[in-house]
Amino acid sequence: MAAITAAVRVDGLSKTFGTGAAIQDLSFEVGENQFVTVVGPSGCGKSTTLRIISGLIRPTGGKVYLRGKEVDGVIGDVGMVFQSPVLLPWRNTIGNVLFTAEMRGKNPGEYRQRALELIKLANLEGFEQRYPYELSGGMQQRAAICRALLLNPSLLLMDEPFGALDIMTREKMGFELQKIWSASKTTVLFVTHSITEAVLLSDTIVVMTARPGKAKAVIPVDLPRPRDTKTLRDPRFAELAGIVRDNIEAQWVE
Amino acid sequence: MTQERKERLGKAAGTLAGFAALLIAWQFGVGILRLPAYILPVPSVIAVRFWQTLSVQAHHLGVTAMTTVVGLALSLVVGVLLALAVVYVKPLQSIVLPVLAAFNSIPKIAIAPLFVIWFGLGMEPKVLLAFLLGLFPVFVNSVTGLGEIEPDVLDLARLAGGNAWRVFLKVRLMHAVPYITDAVKVAFPLALVGSIVGEFIGGNSGVGYLILSGQFNLDTPLVFACLASITIFTTAVIGVVAAFERIFLRWRPSRRNK
Repeated sequence: MAAITAAVRVDGLSKTFGTGAAIQDLSFEVGENQFVTVVGPSGCGKSTTLRIISGLIRPTGGKVYLRGKEVDGVIGDVGMVFQSPVLLPWRNTIGNVLFTAEMRGKNPGEYRQRALELIKLANLEGFEQRYPYELSGGMQQRAAICRALLLNPSLLLMDEPFGALDIMTREKMGFELQKIWSASKTTVLFVTHSITEAVLLSDTIVVMTARPGKAKAVIPVDLPRPRDTKTLRDPRFAELAGIVRDNIEAQWVE
Repeated sequence: MTQERKERLGKAAGTLAGFAALLIAWQFGVGILRLPAYILPVPSVIAVRFWQTLSVQAHHLGVTAMTTVVGLALSLVVGVLLALAVVYVKPLQSIVLPVLAAFNSIPKIAIAPLFVIWFGLGMEPKVLLAFLLGLFPVFVNSVTGLGEIEPDVLDLARLAGGNAWRVFLKVRLMHAVPYITDAVKVAFPLALVGSIVGEFIGGNSGVGYLILSGQFNLDTPLVFACLASITIFTTAVIGVVAAFERIFLRWRPSRRNK
């Protein structure tokens, strides 16, 4: 990947909170239309990294480039999905999906069709008029993904989006996300601490070290797409998961 | 749906039966205890008195309702505006909050005579009392409703390009609505107290005035008839608030369909 074509380039990033360094000299790249996952132990600064890339917070040192342009505050072309769905309880599903359009100052009517398409893609058809409390955790998170994708962001940031879900729902959500992603073909930067999830979803995996976080290894995932449950039984899948695991466990000894 | 309706009707019937039982016990209990009407009139006597004084009741209740609603509306406007100031201009918190807290510790009723000195015997002192009594709960709840927003929601709004106005309109205000309706449920009876106490202290209209005149003439049935008037008024207002909640706040845990 040449630096010019990278959708996201993180260059020597560091962030200090108080006296402790959350991340230090973190560098990696995300290629255009790629699905890149950042894996690392809890508290290694994964969420902080995403927030810096989104422009929500400023780094202490280093720079982030979005398609060659330095990130200097929120630019508006970034979709975000958090660990909790943070849907607005007074809005139904379609209202929540349209939230981003309304925040952008657009007429929600113009985005209705797009919202309905996303809702269909996310298997939420028939739940458009339902309120968040009527949806399961997985459904809520799918609505949050639709909301993040509504404005066709050129970058989708996902901060452990399935972290609060049970393991079975989580696996299913992985496949659903893959489906949604391949339909929208946006660049995704995904944070998780599940190795399986990382291997299943990614084109590239960035393994981060424990606090202060820096990139320990960048592992390309060469499994064919679309990936399904069969992929999970592919020997190459196990092999790749092993490599990721080795890189994480190597830190335990250090 | 019909099942739900049946349940609701059943509940209403139960409530009505409870009230009926209470009234019957009152009606015949007083007779057995041989209490005179000027101590405790029976419901039938109160009903007759209420009927006799219907137009007077309506007039005075109208006055009280007016001062209460105007006072409440003022406390809503001022309370929400003050809360906005505190939420948006953080440094104001250390000024506004202690002043309001100190002010709230003064019993407003105790300074009511001052208002008569300052504003006379018209509507103004009553509205002012109603307003002051309603202000604090509205303010406190509005601060919570407008201010306590999940940081992730604000981040999402920012990322999507939301400016302060849109975030206020579509996030903060919507989040505050149930807090403010709850505040109204508390502030309304307080504002009513303000109005009635104001009428006790001076002037010649309002339910408070009518109650006093009942007291002077030892017309206890009239006093009770006035209480009935007030109950009708409070029930109507609570009904309006409940209808608002049913229509606009269906998503609240307490309003969800089972």
